[in-house]
Amino acid sequence: MMNPLNKRFPKEFKANIGRYISTFILLVITIIVGSGALIVMEGAKATIDETDVENAVEDGFFETKHEISKAALKAIEKRDIHVYENFYIKDKEFDGNAKFYVFNERKEVDLPSLFEGRLPDETADDEIALDRIFALNRNIQIGDRIDVNGDGLLVTGIVALPDYNALFLNNQDMMMNTKDFGVSVVSERTFGAMKDEGLTYRYSYRFDERDKTDKEKSDEAEEIFKILVKNGADVQEFLTAEGNQSITYLKNDMGHDGPMIKMFVYILVAVIAFIFAVLTANTIEQEAAIIGTLRALGYKKGEIIFHYLVPTLVIATLASAVGNLLGYTVMIDAFKSVYYEMYSLPPLRISFNAEAFILTTVVPVVIMVAVNFIMLYDKLSLSPLKFLRKDLKKRHQKKAVRLPAFDFLTRFRIRVILQNKGSFLVMFFGIFFSSFLLMFGIGLSPLMDHYVDEADNTLTYEYLYMLKNKVPASGGEKLYMTTLSTQYYLSGKDMDITFYGVDTDKSDSLFADACVPVEKGQIAVTDSFAKKMKKNVGDVVLFRDKNTDESYYLEIAAINSYTNNMGAYMDRGQLNRMLDNRNDEYNAYVSNEKLDIDDEDIAKFMKRDDMVGAAAQMMASFGGIITAFNVFSIFAYIVIMYLLTKVVIDKNSLYISFMKVFGYEKNEIRKLYLDASAIVTVISLFICLPLEVWFFKAAMVYFSSLIEGYMDFYLPTSVYVKIVLIGIISYFGINALHMNRIKKIPMSEALKNRE
Amino acid sequence: MKITVKDLHKSYGDGDSKVEVLKGINCSVEDGEVCVLLGPSGSGKSTLLNIIGGIEPASSGAILIGSDSTADMDEKKLTLYRRNHLGFVFQFYNLIPNLTVKENIEVCSYLSKDPLDIDELLRTLGLYEHKDKLPSQLSGGQQQRCAIGRALVKNPSLLLCDEPTGALDYKTSKEILVLIEQINRKYRNTIIIVTHNDAIKNMAHRILKMRDGMIVSDIVNEEPLSAADIEW
Repeated sequence: MMNPLNKRFPKEFKANIGRYISTFILLVITIIVGSGALIVMEGAKATIDETDVENAVEDGFFETKHEISKAALKAIEKRDIHVYENFYIKDKEFDGNAKFYVFNERKEVDLPSLFEGRLPDETADDEIALDRIFALNRNIQIGDRIDVNGDGLLVTGIVALPDYNALFLNNQDMMMNTKDFGVSVVSERTFGAMKDEGLTYRYSYRFDERDKTDKEKSDEAEEIFKILVKNGADVQEFLTAEGNQSITYLKNDMGHDGPMIKMFVYILVAVIAFIFAVLTANTIEQEAAIIGTLRALGYKKGEIIFHYLVPTLVIATLASAVGNLLGYTVMIDAFKSVYYEMYSLPPLRISFNAEAFILTTVVPVVIMVAVNFIMLYDKLSLSPLKFLRKDLKKRHQKKAVRLPAFDFLTRFRIRVILQNKGSFLVMFFGIFFSSFLLMFGIGLSPLMDHYVDEADNTLTYEYLYMLKNKVPASGGEKLYMTTLSTQYYLSGKDMDITFYGVDTDKSDSLFADACVPVEKGQIAVTDSFAKKMKKNVGDVVLFRDKNTDESYYLEIAAINSYTNNMGAYMDRGQLNRMLDNRNDEYNAYVSNEKLDIDDEDIAKFMKRDDMVGAAAQMMASFGGIITAFNVFSIFAYIVIMYLLTKVVIDKNSLYISFMKVFGYEKNEIRKLYLDASAIVTVISLFICLPLEVWFFKAAMVYFSSLIEGYMDFYLPTSVYVKIVLIGIISYFGINALHMNRIKKIPMSEALKNRE
Repeated sequence: MKITVKDLHKSYGDGDSKVEVLKGINCSVEDGEVCVLLGPSGSGKSTLLNIIGGIEPASSGAILIGSDSTADMDEKKLTLYRRNHLGFVFQFYNLIPNLTVKENIEVCSYLSKDPLDIDELLRTLGLYEHKDKLPSQLSGGQQQRCAIGRALVKNPSLLLCDEPTGALDYKTSKEILVLIEQINRKYRNTIIIVTHNDAIKNMAHRILKMRDGMIVSDIVNEEPLSAADIEW
């Protein structure tokens, strides 16, 4: 026979429909985010892993000023390493302002994945296939003709290059450059027919043995570098695949996103589980007499526990099912587009993911049921008599908490707060979590803007020319630039630091305010360097030259305000002497005007926008996600606050009824009961702010540890004001609902005979 | 405060399910009188008390409080009527469990422009030394004293008591009745006590007996006994 208690469920769901619908929606959204993001992430990961094999992604590359000698090639290939020419032509001003690389046809390494159209015909001499994200951002379609260094080329296909799934223009860049940097491939014939302006000699290599460890790969890379130097090659850039952000950034990003999303799901499910526990505990108190009667009539504790566990179980199971269904179907394209808008990925292959499925079905249900079961087990361990007497306190409160001689209203509110401390504690965590999400959503844009502004303000020149050949350039300030590495204390890994050898004796130097020391063994570092490395003036830092394996201990003599890179500044003569160069050696110019230097003498050219513009593009691609993020945070805010402050009214509905009988007006009842919740809400909002900032800063340190650069924590006051205001406005909306509820509490409630 | 009830009817439901609880009640209670409303369960005495207290509306008829009719009062005026003139004492005390004894009394003193001195009242009630205790730390009698204190602190002109001794033992019940009597003598407020304890009628100035929604007898007791002398 069906348990007659089950007949109560429809009534229970109907009576608390607001509670169940709002938690259901919150849980569904959480699960959609969890399942959708994890499925797409796992799909992307699998796709990239497969692409690594199928498209023969390189193990590294080097670029040289000139073609390398056959002897060098032979010496490298003796080590069971295949070297492939991966030459490309740079268009420095594609479409006016973009950097654009045209790679020669790839037959054996870094093979393109086709999205749409076809690859350029081998027999044609004017066809090109473009990177998908660059084409999308520039609104270039198949069939369009584009101008590359004066050559008109027909776009035949949209592709993704596996060595550029994240479009980093420079490996040291903080952010991808999805709008002003693009890559493409042409057929060998087309490449040959193109003007060779900006031709760059890139060689990609792959180890024959495919299961080398990272250490072995790194050792081999050092050997390759030594062979190149020994054979007279002038190496301009050398990057292993592991150190190449364009290849590894997405993998790393996913590696960090995965645990973050899981944590997000767990925390939110736990918050919802505790809300349910508070609400169910309140129901138990209200229905104590019924429970006592049922227990006295012979119902087992387990049957009662199960009865009160059913709503939790139903909501959690339904939400898991609906969340997964939507995550796999309706929302999958939205999550795909998050990756597609930021990364140049091959077409994603989405398949059923058992781990994601368990994490978003079994785990939320288990968390919800476990938290509520523990609460119910504990609550229902009292004797039936205690339930009949409505005496549900395990330990009797011996004495009332003594309060100072505040006025009656204040003492009353404090008593309400003490009465509901459990609910308010859960609400505090809920407010903390949702306002942290909100801080992230609202704060990301000003944070990035600040970074861009600071980088822009502290960049003291407009143009940087890195030279292939030393040539005079009127109006340019000579520099010697090199890259030395130092160990990053958080990861233990080497980090590349750009050294600028500048002329300290020139009063009109563009680095005049950089506080560059003239003494031997001293450097000035950028603010970003000092903050990321946690260094101060007077600290000695060990740097290593990967090319020569020489080490240098350098003392920080000054920290300048530059935030645009992780740089160190030395007197040019001192830097050259340290590196055993000629005193007046230089390999770059900086200037505020364009310089008259032949393209063939330039290894790399950068203008202000290239150095500071990527952040704005990143923000543009984040826009949709941030809006969704904020909407979700506010929704979570409202649901959490509504449910937990409603407990105060539910718990006190009888006494509110008395208040009405005694002659209290609606507003006076609000002052007694709702203002207590309002005070807790507002205090929670304010207390949470410094905690959120602390976590945000910790997240920033963590984020900075994953990237080459450094982004300082910055949130304008307006962000804090917005968070508190959104919290307060949300609460006042809720307050209006509660007022309505108070209005509906009948006086007859007080008149029923109660024991 | 004089209370006059005129042809009061109260019914619940419609059509076949219509139940008439009060069937034309006419009575009056003089200013400063202790009136006991007697009758078995379901006779309508609590409903009559609720209508006098402005908690439930009547279906027809009128309650005159002095010269004001509750039928003419809107919700706000009824609230003010309860606030300014009435004190309630319930069978099961209905104290707010998370407030101390003193704070429970302050709940009602907060509403009054000229409340009684709480400490003095607590002494009168014999609760002064318990003022910082929670209701759960008190005996039933002490809780009812506290509830009476809460009702009295506004110094109401009309005190409505619904089975005030219903949950108490004999000795404590007598103590409570003595207290009510003292209050009536001290403050001269009109008191209506709903009870089905027949003995309590002996301490009243007026005894109204109800059955099936009607008053079956309205007796003026010329020589009421002291509450201490009544027995049951």
